[in-house]
Amino acid sequence: MNNPGTDAAVGGELAQALAADHRPLHSDQTPAEWVKNNLFSSALNSVITVLSAAFAGLVLYFGIQWAVNEEWEIIRSNLRNFMIGQFPKDELWRPWAGGLALVGSVGLGSAGMARNAFDDAIEKGLPTERPTWLGLVRRFWSILAFIVIVLTFTRTILPTLGVLAGLGLFVAGRLIGWSLPVGARRFSPHVILVGLVALSTIIAGSGGLVAIVGGLVAALIVSAAVGDRIDRTAISGKVAALAIPLLGGVIVWFVMSTVDSFGFGWKDWGGLYLTLFVTVAGISTGMPLGILLAIGRRSQLPVIKGFCVLFIEFVRGVPLISLLFFSGFMLPLLFPPSAGIPDGTTRAMIVITLFSAAYIAEIVRGGLQAVPKGQTEAAQAQGLSAGKIQRLIVMPQALRAVIPAMVGQFISLFKDTSLLAIIGVAEFLQIATIANTQQDFLGKGLQPVTYAFVALGYWAFAYTMSKESRRIEVRLGVGTR
Amino acid sequence: MSDTTINADATQILGGGDAIIEVDGVDKLFGDFQALTNINMRVGAQEVVVVIGPSGSGKSTLIRCINRLERHDRGRILVDGIELSDDIRNIQEIRRETGMVFQSFNLFPHLTILDNITLAPRQVRNMPKGEAEATAMELLERVKIPEQAQKYPGQLSGGQQQRVAIARSLAMKPKVLLFDEPTSALDPEMIKEVLDTMKDLANEGMTMICVTHEMGFAREVADRVVFMADGQIVEVGTPEHFFDNPQEERTKLFLSQIL
Repeated sequence: MNNPGTDAAVGGELAQALAADHRPLHSDQTPAEWVKNNLFSSALNSVITVLSAAFAGLVLYFGIQWAVNEEWEIIRSNLRNFMIGQFPKDELWRPWAGGLALVGSVGLGSAGMARNAFDDAIEKGLPTERPTWLGLVRRFWSILAFIVIVLTFTRTILPTLGVLAGLGLFVAGRLIGWSLPVGARRFSPHVILVGLVALSTIIAGSGGLVAIVGGLVAALIVSAAVGDRIDRTAISGKVAALAIPLLGGVIVWFVMSTVDSFGFGWKDWGGLYLTLFVTVAGISTGMPLGILLAIGRRSQLPVIKGFCVLFIEFVRGVPLISLLFFSGFMLPLLFPPSAGIPDGTTRAMIVITLFSAAYIAEIVRGGLQAVPKGQTEAAQAQGLSAGKIQRLIVMPQALRAVIPAMVGQFISLFKDTSLLAIIGVAEFLQIATIANTQQDFLGKGLQPVTYAFVALGYWAFAYTMSKESRRIEVRLGVGTR
Repeated sequence: MSDTTINADATQILGGGDAIIEVDGVDKLFGDFQALTNINMRVGAQEVVVVIGPSGSGKSTLIRCINRLERHDRGRILVDGIELSDDIRNIQEIRRETGMVFQSFNLFPHLTILDNITLAPRQVRNMPKGEAEATAMELLERVKIPEQAQKYPGQLSGGQQQRVAIARSLAMKPKVLLFDEPTSALDPEMIKEVLDTMKDLANEGMTMICVTHEMGFAREVADRVVFMADGQIVEVGTPEHFFDNPQEERTKLFLSQIL
């Protein structure tokens, strides 16, 4: 793992970050001059440089030694567990199909959004650049590198083919998404959400609660997609604005409930796939909930305000572990007795969503307080309704102010999912523990190998999230400083 | 109606026109502090009223009560025949008829200049995008900065931002414009461009109430000058009489301090 190639990539990344800042590296310097100016400018500097180089060399040497000599068979034979847990072998087409659908829709949707932003910037005469394939690789190199490392552990060609198919779909999606007409590109964000629903429909495939949540999400997506196009002043428009999203929701609910009749539930699901899914679901459901809680906390109505304060302060005041433990006793009270205790994955999803909602609510509240009162007054003086003031004036500014804190919360939520192990969910980290208790590997002291692999997986995604957050900050900051 | 009267009665409209704003016996309290005491005032269509007074005298509070940014505690306020009540629809209707320009501009920093101006017409009046943008460009021509349409507020100077703010209030085609110290946050060299824009508006017949410390503007443009102190109207008169021949000691003291 600690090979020089990775370090070179880090160096390239740094250069890229600096270039993105439009601060040119001293291009008039030759490499020799650069080394002299930056590494050996004084006696003290030279000593520090030599010592650091020696230390880095030692770490690299022992790291490579360790990596080369270590027994990696445990990863090879547990690779599927690491990726998707105890997923039934016959059903493996589900995560693949769901993953491919998601990758394709993300490609399509992200290219559409990128094109919208690009055209918008051109129209406003702001500096902008066409996204390049190389740029995409640079943005997501840590994830791509991790995928490559994973593929080196595979025993058959099939996973590699699957990844290549995914890559092909993504590229095709990007190309199509970029060249779609404006009218179709408006729905780019919804395409991504549809991909997410498709993923959960195909894989989760569990009826009941999941189908209901899926149906609600689908209704929201449809409502957002058609909302602006319907003339609500007419009665028929009002009916359509209600009926169309309802229809979409019912269809998705029906499909998801029917898929359950295949007899496959999602409680066997695990590994990195589960970790990522729980994180994405926790973020995408926790964020709207958190925003509502933040608005509710500022409400004039004592009941709403009281409920929001109580919820936020309770969840924030209690460790996530205890919430997970309690979920086994508390959540069944919310379901009909016939349903029994919900399985670990369902409980985990609910707890993670509520947990992130409470934290996001406090982050958003901080952002809301940062928006000057004059903004609301100016909007009021123009006759905007309270809802529109929140949606169009206050919230965009508040959310922009809290992007770094929000992404920090997402990253810590991503890592917190490792706690799900205590309610019996075989998430990514838990697989490392399980692997070491297998007969073949028990007592061989292979924990460092498995944990190094898991740590690399977590890091690859967390690092990309953190980099993307900085990118969004820079982009949203344009023209407002 | 005598043009030469100088007294504490702000209900006499000068410059013709029917009353468009009527303020009857209005009190406003902030906790125990009485910000406004028994204010009676009328403003006629196309009239320009300048409100001056020391800080804390309640002049900003008065105009903020007119579009319900502050809730008055006693008395009645009528705008274009509609009485302000707690009914939100009533308030919205009055806010559509009155534009307001703030001391700190309060442009929306996340929207372009054009979007700042078209937001309310599109969201409140349901105006189609194309029409709203055409109107916005006309207004930007009027305040003489059409070339800034695609920029963000943060890229403009203070004076330009305040002119955009004026264009933004005009986009709703208000019957009355309220100015709350529009030049107080500006660098000296930018005050003139904003005052010139306001003068143009006054000459075009816009009904205006201006809270300002710009005495030159008051003298040149105002139909009436209202002097407030300690939450009360102390003295009212035409600019000539007000500045050249003030009657009240409080007014004389104030004028001697600022002129």
